[in-house]
Amino acid sequence: MVRSKAPSKKQQKKGIDFKKIKRKLGRKLPPPKNATNTEIKSKAIVLPEQSVATNKEGLAVSKKGLTLKELLQQSSHHNAKVRRDALMGIKDLVINHPAELRQHRYAVIEKLRERISDDDKVVREALYQLFKSEIFPGCAEDNQGLFISLLMTYIFNAMTNLAIDIRLMAFKFFDLVVQYYPPCFSLYAEKILQSYEDILRKNQFYLEDKGKLKTTLSGLVRCLSLLPSKKPESEKSISGDRIIHAFEPDTPTANTGFSTIIKKLKELVLVLINCFQDFIPLLNSMPQLDVLSFDCILSMLQSIDIAVRFFIYGIHEETPESICDQTLSSALSKKLLGVFPLYPKHHLSVKEDDRYFILNVVIAAIFLHLRELVCPSANVFEKFLEFIENALLGTICSSTRSGKATWEKHIPLLLPFIPKLASEVQTGWQSRILESFTWTFKDCNPESSLKLACLSMIEEMLIPRGYMHYTKASDTVVLDYQTVWIRELPLLLNLLGDKQPSSSQVVLCLLLRLGQFSGSNPFLFGEYENIQFALSEFYSTCQEGNLYYGPFMRLPRDCQELSICCLYYFSNLNVLLLKSLTFCCLCSELEPFVSFRIIEVLHAAYKAGHIQIVDHISFFMTLLSRFKILPESICPVRESDVKVSNHGTFKSLTAMLCSYLSQMGDSSVVFHIVEKAILGLILLQPPLENACAMLRVLIVLDSKPTLLSEQSIIALSNFLPGYLMDVVHCIPEDDVQTWRYYILPCFFMFDRSSKLLKLVLDVIGSFLTDSNLSLPSDTSTRYATDSLSRINATISLLLLIYKDVKVRKIISSFRTEIGSILQSIASLQSSEVKMTLEERHRFQSSVLEKHFPLVRMVGNQPRGRSSFVGNIEKKYRFS
Amino acid sequence: MNVVLASSSIEGGIGCWDLQTGAEQLRYKTCASPPHGLASIGCRFLACSQLRDPSAASGHVLYWSWSKPQAQVKSFPAEPIKPLAANSEGSYIVGGGSSGDIYFWEVATGRLLKKWHAHYRAVTCLVFSDDDSLLISGSEDGCVRVWSLFMIFDEVRKQQASHLYEYSFTEHTLRVTDIVMGYGGGNAVIVSASEDRTCKVWSLSRGRLLRNVVFPSIIDAIAIDPGEHVFYAGGRDGKIYIAALNVESSPSNNYGLHIIGSLTDQSKPVTCLAYSAERNLLLSGSEDGMIRVWDVKTKKILRMFRHSKGPVNNILIVRLPYLLSRAEPKVQASSRRNDFSLHPPLEKYANSSDEDMDNKAIITLPDTIDLPSYLSSQLINDHIKQLQQQGSSAAAEMEVKRLKLVGQRSMEMFQQLKKVYDKLQEFCVNELLDGQPIEGSKGN
Repeated sequence: MVRSKAPSKKQQKKGIDFKKIKRKLGRKLPPPKNATNTEIKSKAIVLPEQSVATNKEGLAVSKKGLTLKELLQQSSHHNAKVRRDALMGIKDLVINHPAELRQHRYAVIEKLRERISDDDKVVREALYQLFKSEIFPGCAEDNQGLFISLLMTYIFNAMTNLAIDIRLMAFKFFDLVVQYYPPCFSLYAEKILQSYEDILRKNQFYLEDKGKLKTTLSGLVRCLSLLPSKKPESEKSISGDRIIHAFEPDTPTANTGFSTIIKKLKELVLVLINCFQDFIPLLNSMPQLDVLSFDCILSMLQSIDIAVRFFIYGIHEETPESICDQTLSSALSKKLLGVFPLYPKHHLSVKEDDRYFILNVVIAAIFLHLRELVCPSANVFEKFLEFIENALLGTICSSTRSGKATWEKHIPLLLPFIPKLASEVQTGWQSRILESFTWTFKDCNPESSLKLACLSMIEEMLIPRGYMHYTKASDTVVLDYQTVWIRELPLLLNLLGDKQPSSSQVVLCLLLRLGQFSGSNPFLFGEYENIQFALSEFYSTCQEGNLYYGPFMRLPRDCQELSICCLYYFSNLNVLLLKSLTFCCLCSELEPFVSFRIIEVLHAAYKAGHIQIVDHISFFMTLLSRFKILPESICPVRESDVKVSNHGTFKSLTAMLCSYLSQMGDSSVVFHIVEKAILGLILLQPPLENACAMLRVLIVLDSKPTLLSEQSIIALSNFLPGYLMDVVHCIPEDDVQTWRYYILPCFFMFDRSSKLLKLVLDVIGSFLTDSNLSLPSDTSTRYATDSLSRINATISLLLLIYKDVKVRKIISSFRTEIGSILQSIASLQSSEVKMTLEERHRFQSSVLEKHFPLVRMVGNQPRGRSSFVGNIEKKYRFS
Repeated sequence: MNVVLASSSIEGGIGCWDLQTGAEQLRYKTCASPPHGLASIGCRFLACSQLRDPSAASGHVLYWSWSKPQAQVKSFPAEPIKPLAANSEGSYIVGGGSSGDIYFWEVATGRLLKKWHAHYRAVTCLVFSDDDSLLISGSEDGCVRVWSLFMIFDEVRKQQASHLYEYSFTEHTLRVTDIVMGYGGGNAVIVSASEDRTCKVWSLSRGRLLRNVVFPSIIDAIAIDPGEHVFYAGGRDGKIYIAALNVESSPSNNYGLHIIGSLTDQSKPVTCLAYSAERNLLLSGSEDGMIRVWDVKTKKILRMFRHSKGPVNNILIVRLPYLLSRAEPKVQASSRRNDFSLHPPLEKYANSSDEDMDNKAIITLPDTIDLPSYLSSQLINDHIKQLQQQGSSAAAEMEVKRLKLVGQRSMEMFQQLKKVYDKLQEFCVNELLDGQPIEGSKGN
């Protein structure tokens, strides 16, 4: 780059001293031709992103690049459009940077609240949306009290604004606040009610703009529903791992200010009634009831309903009588109850019918609350009763599907009054009301909430709460209906199946309460007993040899638990129910825990005297003999078998039943009952596991000199040899624990009765004689069927016996029997005729392997070797 | 002397052992008790309800004095009574009937002061609160109810109230098997066990469920430790589970939430528990007729008492009165007999005589003992009358006895003092005699 001035300067210095250079003024050298124009010209600099003055690097900005601060400034701009844009910008910013809102929430609120009474409708709407979608959800977990109090002053300000639109919008805002912070109503209740009253007094507007009225009224309904009431008992959940005496912070009860607002509320109710009255002529003039006006009227009625409920049941100092004084009660009865029932003037559509039905139901509910305070004339009362009856019977509502749905939704409003009505009205009406209630109960969909409401009413009518002496229900009319209800319950249970466990749970709870209560009321007692027949279907049924499991099997655990508890309260459990329970217990699909629980509760019931001893024992015996072991073989062969195996379950079942049987009382008496049953079952050759379980039961109940009768000893002596041989045959020798489990009961029996041992040894000996061996099918054993395995089993068995110290001592007195067995084994060996060569080889190798140690053991007995041992040894030497 | 008393559901008498030494004491004969049927009446004597045939129309309650094995007094209430309880002074006995009624008797007169329908089904256990003002009852219908005795005896309030009980806890689904109460009067917690395999902890002041502990087996007996850190629950599977009340329990353990551990001895079902606060011992009775004494710290068995073959179903730890524990058979026999004549059998029906309606009200005598005591005014009147009449004979006799004792004591004291004095004198004399040379040596 060449500079234009640089060369001239050089010349200046290089020149001769003090030489005056003449310069011409006003003229300049022309720029060199190769000079570059370095002049910069600009009009304005537009930086699209940032300016140097405000560095916004790292700050959260909206789409338009404005920070929160700027947006907030703009939100009070004089131009409505800018204000709206600012609000949109804030929304935008908050969505992208939620942290920004959390940091500056108080600043944001402080600025934005001014906009609540903004003149421009669009701005207000934008603000509303901003609050609704972003700010409230974003600040949900914060200290909301402060937050709300910042807003409330401005809302109240807007509520008293001259422009009606702003006022309505303020109510909408307030509604939003209440949704997110319910306690705020109780803080400002009086002021709010006043505001509502004021706006509703302006009756010219609501006839014009029903849409806005509707939103206002729905806000009112929401506020009023926050009024505290005694009725709902809030069940606090028990917290899991807190320690019990831990400090519990007192949560401030927000109910303190409500006593003062009663006066205000009363005025509001009067205003609402007037409002309602103004609507009535409108209804008559209109061709049909449109949705908007319907909603308005409904909200008004609901507000009145809530207010009345608060007067009567609410938590405050004044009595209901003092609140419902002359002015209120007369207004209510004249203007509201007087026009009842509302009905369409021009009958046009079924939909309209349903709407009128809903309104009438609410009015009827208000009436029923007020009944005792207003003291209606008999005429009016009759009118309402008639309506209630028809409503319950469903004759008013249209029969279309939507009509039915409406009916199911709104009838629950009337149900809470039924118990009281039924107990107070005259007999004629009583039966009519109860009849229609029963109809409702039976007709409604089993899975609907109406059914649940009906059930809770039934509970109230069957089981009087509070003072016990109330149980005077000797009315035949009432009893008839109570019978119907109770009989319906098990059917309902079967109908519900496992589709809706929560409903089933309610029914089961009611049944349980009924059972608990039935002890003190002879009528209920009988009815509860009768449930058993229907209830057995709930567990399982057996028809023509086929088993059908009921819903019990598929319900969740807590329902199962409840239904098991119900069993305890039957004072005489019948055999049918016991049978169906047995099938359930035996079903492999049922969890072992549940079947154990059934047995446990049934045993408790037996202890309380609710089950006959014979039934109870046969229940136990059936369990032991019919329990299906999976897989069939005793020893699990494959891995997969271990998983499905229920050996463990059966073992613990056996242990459980043994301990129950031993607790049942005098064990010798129990033994004699059990003995007969078991011997009968044992002779049917049950699978080894079941046989073992039964033998275990016998020895648990037996005592040292055995209690077994002569007959049963003989029967057992025929059974035991086969059993023992099977056990030895099926279980590998190294599995000591398993064979001990199966053989120990026999050892106990041998210990207690030496006669049994002798007989058993005799039978084993007779097995081994030639004639018996040749018989191909002998029924005394299930597994060890061929002669070879039988001999094998005999030898292993004797080995086992000799290994056990205690039994060896006992058996030592039966030398002759043992000797004859050994001899016959030996002789068999020498006289093998029918065997093939291969068989013979196998036989020799296996038998010899074991026979020698056995003979040695027998020979090692203290009294020296007897001659037969010697004989046998000789024989072996020869062969 | 602390003794352990145990009774069984089959005929086996009431066993009695010294807790300290383990020596067996007198065995009280002919007793077959239901669970919770054994009660000591103010440590003065024993009462036990009896199991009867289900067909029997009336109940059976027996009294034993400490010194005699035979039952002294027999009463036959109107229906079979199972649980019995007495207030700490022993002035009242409460019994729970099989119809769900609760009977309230005065011991001194045997009068049935009140009877009310408490439960839908048979009452299974009854517990008095520390201050004797609350009664807690459990029933076969799974309901636990708290009764205030003030309410029961207040006719006016009874008329107004919708129900008699203070609280009715209905969360148990099956028979309530045991109830224990913590300390703190109206602020205490109560723990109830039921056949539904749960124990529930309730707050008396707030009247709501605090904790639900699910056990692996049915719990038949519970005992609470004096610090209320844990409670012990004896199960039908033979284990005694330790469940947390006021200690943090780790969420991962073998048995379930809130169960910290267990005491096991491979035994048959545990049927009853008792806690001896004095030496931190837990006593458990079992189905096999044994009573095991556990040290709760080491979880070891210290001692076993054999009661009978049948199941033990009641254990009581009673501090015997001083006189009794010192064996003075002769004096006692006579005095006891006198004492016992004061306790007539329990009446079958309430005296519906209207003459003393006001007599049934309870009055308090605050200055007799530090605890307020509640006695019916009629009894007080009787006492006053007796004092006035027998002031001459019985009172004088007692006074003479007392003075004799005092005389004897002071004689002993005198002898002792004399001895001490003699010794002292001897010592001083010796000291004086020996003193000189020692001092002299010291001076050197």
